[in-house]
Amino acid sequence: MDFSLQQDTPEMSAFRQEIRAWLADNMKGGEHLRWSGNWSTRENDEEYRFRRALAGKLGQKRWLFPTYPVKYGGAGLTLDHQFVLETEIDRYGLSLGSVFYTLARLVAPALMKFGTEEQKLEFLPPMMRGELAVWQLLTEPQGGSDVANCQTKAIRDGDHYVVNGQKVLVGHHLPPDYLWTFVCTNPAGKRHENLGWLYIPANLPGITLQHMHLMMGIKNAVFFDNVRVPAKYLVGGENNGWKVANSYLELEHGGGGSVAEQPLFKRLIEHCQKSEFDGESLIEDQDIRDEIADMLIDLDVQRLMGLRNFWHRYVREPHPYGGPQFLYFQRMVRLRNSERVQKILGYDALVPDNSVHEVADFEYTVRSGPGWLHGGGTLDTDRLIIARRLGLGRPAQETAPTTVGE
Amino acid sequence: MDLKLNDDQNMMKKVAADFIKAEAPSYVITDWYQKKQAFIPALYKKTAEVGWLGMIIPEEFGGGGTSLMDCAVVFEELGRAPLPGPYFASGVLAAQLILEGASTEMKKAWLPKICDGSAVVIPAISDDPMQFGPRSVQTRALKSGDGYKFTGTKRFVQDGSPASHFIIAARDDAGRVVLALIDRNAPGVTMTDVNGFMIGAAEVKLDDVTVGEDAMLNGSGGGWSVVESALGKALPILCAYKVGACQEIFELTNEYTRTRVVFGQPIGRFQRVQDHCVDISIHLDGARWTTYETLWKLDSGIEARASVHQAKAVASEAYYQSCNFSHMVFAGAGTDYKHPLMAHSVLAHSLYQYLGTPLYHKRAMVDALYPRKLKRAG
Repeated sequence: MDFSLQQDTPEMSAFRQEIRAWLADNMKGGEHLRWSGNWSTRENDEEYRFRRALAGKLGQKRWLFPTYPVKYGGAGLTLDHQFVLETEIDRYGLSLGSVFYTLARLVAPALMKFGTEEQKLEFLPPMMRGELAVWQLLTEPQGGSDVANCQTKAIRDGDHYVVNGQKVLVGHHLPPDYLWTFVCTNPAGKRHENLGWLYIPANLPGITLQHMHLMMGIKNAVFFDNVRVPAKYLVGGENNGWKVANSYLELEHGGGGSVAEQPLFKRLIEHCQKSEFDGESLIEDQDIRDEIADMLIDLDVQRLMGLRNFWHRYVREPHPYGGPQFLYFQRMVRLRNSERVQKILGYDALVPDNSVHEVADFEYTVRSGPGWLHGGGTLDTDRLIIARRLGLGRPAQETAPTTVGE
Repeated sequence: MDLKLNDDQNMMKKVAADFIKAEAPSYVITDWYQKKQAFIPALYKKTAEVGWLGMIIPEEFGGGGTSLMDCAVVFEELGRAPLPGPYFASGVLAAQLILEGASTEMKKAWLPKICDGSAVVIPAISDDPMQFGPRSVQTRALKSGDGYKFTGTKRFVQDGSPASHFIIAARDDAGRVVLALIDRNAPGVTMTDVNGFMIGAAEVKLDDVTVGEDAMLNGSGGGWSVVESALGKALPILCAYKVGACQEIFELTNEYTRTRVVFGQPIGRFQRVQDHCVDISIHLDGARWTTYETLWKLDSGIEARASVHQAKAVASEAYYQSCNFSHMVFAGAGTDYKHPLMAHSVLAHSLYQYLGTPLYHKRAMVDALYPRKLKRAG
């Protein structure tokens, strides 16, 4: 058994040096910026511009999607290379999947597995170059966790699909380029067999965006009013959308794993070391030390579950229930940490500190505790999926889908 | 990175699982726990023959010379049973205490006996029913002639009854912790089994027990540093035992949700029942991966003091909580002493206390990472 992440081969070591030097160079000018949390929708245009430009530069190097085939815009490198890239960019508090707000990281694998050759050649390269902000449009006002109950209709009309309906709780405060949209292609069809995915250019007539002001920041409602989408944008075939969803949502649901560090904990320790109450450093207080212990254990178990999932993806043996388990545990840890931070800081925990990245910010930690209970499915759907994978109350266990494309 | 067992470890795992299936099937184990039979001499001897006592002790002293991870793989299977007996107390911890603290002559004299099962050496560290750590050592070892006189009471000594010898922690005239190997039949040593919602504990009393200098094992840094460094290797193996136990509980419970039918459907169709299984999975995997990473660190020579405390806290709590969640699923049936869950439930409580509670180890973990400026006396 070997948990080491940093034991590079000579080839990887050279690659790491190259990345490190490149990042040192290209992160210049961003020192004063505060990265928002991965999928947060905080409004800061300067940050957004910097991150979007950085993604473009990474895309030019083909480092955003390093393992994808060269002909689609990737670099044809190994997962080891990707791992090096992930760990190096993590040093700056960013991840390859969210250099700026786009869900290309989830859409690209679905295109790889279910797209036609023409679709891959047309859709993937600009995505890999980091040029596109892609939103995922799944949730509907009446749907929520029941994603298969999709009311947004896409009815074939000649060479087009005509889309009508509404999606909610999606996106970012700045507009997208493409909408990866779950639609009902056959309203009369059987549940799970009447769905499809459309990769919709966001500038088509009939699409309206409306900001929603939420606990975690700005998201959007997206309205489709007789939007005519060329048929070539249907991915995975008509009425096959549920299969596409099942495969690629495993990635969103934690199956991809994680190698990220936890900056929040480090910052909390620093706070306790430099703050005093009644002449005593907070770090000397036994009650605070006990909170720290529980937090450290939670974060460490979360780290190990992420590492385990990463490894399972790496060796292409999907963990039977590891994806949703990680996600569920992470949600609960975030909620518990939300309270722990309040216990330790008091009122200060409710005030944002704009000098640090959001992932290390105490106010964000407090707010995102309850806020993260349901991003990308609720904690209850997580548990439901785990139960099915364990085959609880069932003769057979559902198998975890392979996380495709990488 | 490679997070799977190697081929040898998979083989050891299978051998251990097959051995236990043949020698100690579930109904036999359940019976032992119901009768509080914590030591089965014939079985102990057989495990010595397959090499499970002193696995991590160097071969020159009769041990297996294996890595900690190898040993942990076997203990995981013992924990699944859960096999009762001093496999850990004598075969791992006592052996390690002697290896870390004793003279070469003493090692040569005692380690082979521990490894072949002819001596059952049981550590008795804490005097206190709740506390652990150096402050919990209160038995006195007062200088007397060429040796010491030991007096005190170890209220709960896990696996005490089968002991042929004890390793007793005490305080000398200067208040320092010292360790001595003491014959169970030495004059002044009395032992009484302790009964309760627990298994395997005995009270050991020492009344002016004479101990020669040649029976001491304080290494070069004193008794507590021997205890600390022995625990630093041994505890993760105890954690692996608990991980195996959690795995067994997890599988038993999941299976029950398929076969138990109420309200016209298997109970696993009820989401609230599912939630209990999900909670077990989290405790199980938290304990498993914390333990594995700690073992890997130790086998790779990476500093792991805080990780060892962390693994002990996580695994003890995981075992205890897994039992509780399993009780939620099994309900009344799981409280019958003839039910396999009861063996685990009883043992989980004993092991929650054994060698320091989760609270003790959490605090020790934080102390190792962020030392206090003001050290407590003791």
